[in-house]
Amino acid sequence: MRTIIPAAILLIALLAVPPFLGLGWQNALVNLLIASLFALAFNLLSGQAGLLSFGHAAYFGVGAFATLHLMIAVEDGLPFPTPLLPLAGAGAGLAVGLVAGVFATKRSGVYFALVTLAIAELFHSLAPHLQGWFGGESGISAMRMPWGGFVFGSLLEVYYLTLGWVVLSILVLWAYTRTPFGRLTLALRDNEQRVRFLGYDAHAAKVVVFTISAMFSGVAGALLAISNETANYALFSAHVSAQVVLHTFVGGATIFLGPVIGAVVFTLFAYIVSDLTRSWLFYQGLIFVLVMLYAPIGIGGVIRHHLRHWRSIDWSRLAAPYALAGVGGAMIAGGVVFLTECVAILFGEEYAVAMRDAGDTLPPFEMAGMSWDPLGPASWLPPILLLSIGGLCLHRARDRIKPLWDAIEGGAAKEGTR
Amino acid sequence: MKKLSLLAALSAGLLSATVAQAEPLKIGIIESLSGAQTSSGRLYATAIQYGVDKINAGGGFNGEPIEVLEYDNAGGAPGAADKFRQAVADGVDIVFQGASSAIAGQITEDVRKHNIRNPGKEIMFINVGAEAMQLTGDQCHFYHFRYTTTAPMRVNALVQSMRQAGDLGTRVYSINQNYSWGQDMQAAIEAAATDNGYEVVDTVLHDVNKIQDFAPFVARIKSAEPETVITGNWSNDLLLLMKATGNAGLDVRFGTTYLDQPGNIANAGETALGHYIANNYDNSAGEPAFADAYKEATGHYPLFVEPQTIFAVGALGEALSGVDFGGGEIDVTTIAKALEDTAYETPVGPITVRPEDHQTIRPVVVSKVVRNAKYPADDTDMGFEAVNVVAGEDAIYPAQESCAMDRPD
Repeated sequence: MRTIIPAAILLIALLAVPPFLGLGWQNALVNLLIASLFALAFNLLSGQAGLLSFGHAAYFGVGAFATLHLMIAVEDGLPFPTPLLPLAGAGAGLAVGLVAGVFATKRSGVYFALVTLAIAELFHSLAPHLQGWFGGESGISAMRMPWGGFVFGSLLEVYYLTLGWVVLSILVLWAYTRTPFGRLTLALRDNEQRVRFLGYDAHAAKVVVFTISAMFSGVAGALLAISNETANYALFSAHVSAQVVLHTFVGGATIFLGPVIGAVVFTLFAYIVSDLTRSWLFYQGLIFVLVMLYAPIGIGGVIRHHLRHWRSIDWSRLAAPYALAGVGGAMIAGGVVFLTECVAILFGEEYAVAMRDAGDTLPPFEMAGMSWDPLGPASWLPPILLLSIGGLCLHRARDRIKPLWDAIEGGAAKEGTR
Repeated sequence: MKKLSLLAALSAGLLSATVAQAEPLKIGIIESLSGAQTSSGRLYATAIQYGVDKINAGGGFNGEPIEVLEYDNAGGAPGAADKFRQAVADGVDIVFQGASSAIAGQITEDVRKHNIRNPGKEIMFINVGAEAMQLTGDQCHFYHFRYTTTAPMRVNALVQSMRQAGDLGTRVYSINQNYSWGQDMQAAIEAAATDNGYEVVDTVLHDVNKIQDFAPFVARIKSAEPETVITGNWSNDLLLLMKATGNAGLDVRFGTTYLDQPGNIANAGETALGHYIANNYDNSAGEPAFADAYKEATGHYPLFVEPQTIFAVGALGEALSGVDFGGGEIDVTTIAKALEDTAYETPVGPITVRPEDHQTIRPVVVSKVVRNAKYPADDTDMGFEAVNVVAGEDAIYPAQESCAMDRPD
């Protein structure tokens, strides 16, 4: 009951709000849904079965290409309902995942990761040469055909189609975790040896998990193909494989919906920041590093930690240091952004022109609507103040938060032993 | 900033409504502005901004300055598809893109589909650097304009000029990258053989930007005993090939298409001397005023893909000067028709649009790497010196039959 109500509210919001949003946000939501499903499918393998794949782009891409081929066939007159197109992606992901899985899951750990990486690279380097299947380096394209009164021309229709498939897939993936085989998947991660001693065929089980994960990755790829109406070999690139790893680990691999959180955070981040600053990839990397260093369980893990201890948290005492930490974090972020943007401007080409025009002195530069003198203390005071005060705030906040949490966890542990 | 304010509006539970007024013309640049390909992407963006600034200095268009919006496609076609939709949401009228034919293929398809679904709200795509033949072949459509050369134009100009200079010889070797561009180059080299009195002694297509050691290829070139090697290779594939040839002591002349990519001359060093390049422009071919004005504004002479981009925006500016919406709604189809009829005068000759496939008919400049050049490349003492300007009508080839263009009424 506790999870159903927020989930229902979220679903209603996802259904009701988008018609009132601009095209840009609708597009961002489509991307967000696809990234969420992809990350969840990936996490079935990496988080639940403990098999870290570095080549999930292969199944994502195969799903996209298979769907496009079906779309082309529909364009040529094949009577196939447009809303069921992702089935092609699911089928292709399943088939390729099965073959790849048989080989890849013979090993685990680093070797498994390397085999998956190699399989994705294989697709990435072969695809541009296979004109008929992958359309060379320019890829293949098709148009969404109208079906059953829906034109599928507007982004909103694509959004609802995507939403339907993503919600359905998430429900199936969640149901999977509740089955005995879902439990076996977790056991594979925790102790494969024991699974074998219990009489299970560990390899066969791993192949099944791999195949299911690849199948849902294929569905995610299919949804991308439907929304983009094209696919090219760039879908197989290591960048796509890396992105899903990033989403999953920032969101939290040990929680079912953790990857969704990561996908949402990064997709929104890319949407809002990527056209504001050229340094957005740097910031994205920074976020990843910080999460891995200070919250290795991911954002979802931090949230779950709080929910688990909700009753024993004394918010009247914790709220103030949390607010302090928030202020400190915001100040440090401000300082880092300030410095990064200064560096980007000072070493940029426009500033080189300004410098030449000023006769090789350092002229003032514009940032955030204000003028700054590169040598003036007034320009460097804000970041120094932001960073040092922010650091102090964080330090202070940590000193106060830690004993409080120790008490909460200590209390919980005592309760557990009693 | 618009997005941030939108976010604020949303969080307050409000809905944003855009107010329609005398609308400015919006140009969207969808380029690689982060990651490995940033340097090319920035050159296009700089040149477009320069051209638009010039139009705006002359009063802009439709009573408003032209707006330029930059979109980072993150180096791939999926990113470009995403950013194209963002550009549509922002009300962009004209999309500019140049680096990578794969991305151009994505954008031109997106533009075509958008225009089918949104009659009256068309978007135009000005391609300033993607040279794949299919963009003006089976992918061609009325709203795509290619303001750059293609493989046959470059090869025709290159072999004609090298032959006239007595540097071509009769034995030509073709080595290219194994994807559409390299295949187009190879086909063009083979097609130009009889007219220019040479024999293609061997052809090679190799992997794109994956080869670290070109020695085996150089050995193959050596055994074929060519006098000239023609290649459409770019980036590392060109550099490593030239270096390996130099190291093997093989005395051949290179005919290239991308030797002027920034950094190439400095990297190749003396090996590059005497090699040829066919490109859209070279500073030594036209009057100095053009190059100087650009340097004044941006800090460097126009290089690599910048001149062709400046010409494209210049042609657009000229087309716009003949169109008047009286401050009202902008009709992109009218602009496209005007651009189709525009003959733009560059420092080396006119550029016109061929109505059948919207390929531009344009002069091709062939130049050679020399010492003590007037416009040194990469802070070396070497640079390019124009040897010949091949007029547009001499470099052009017949429109491809695969192009079936639907024209608006």
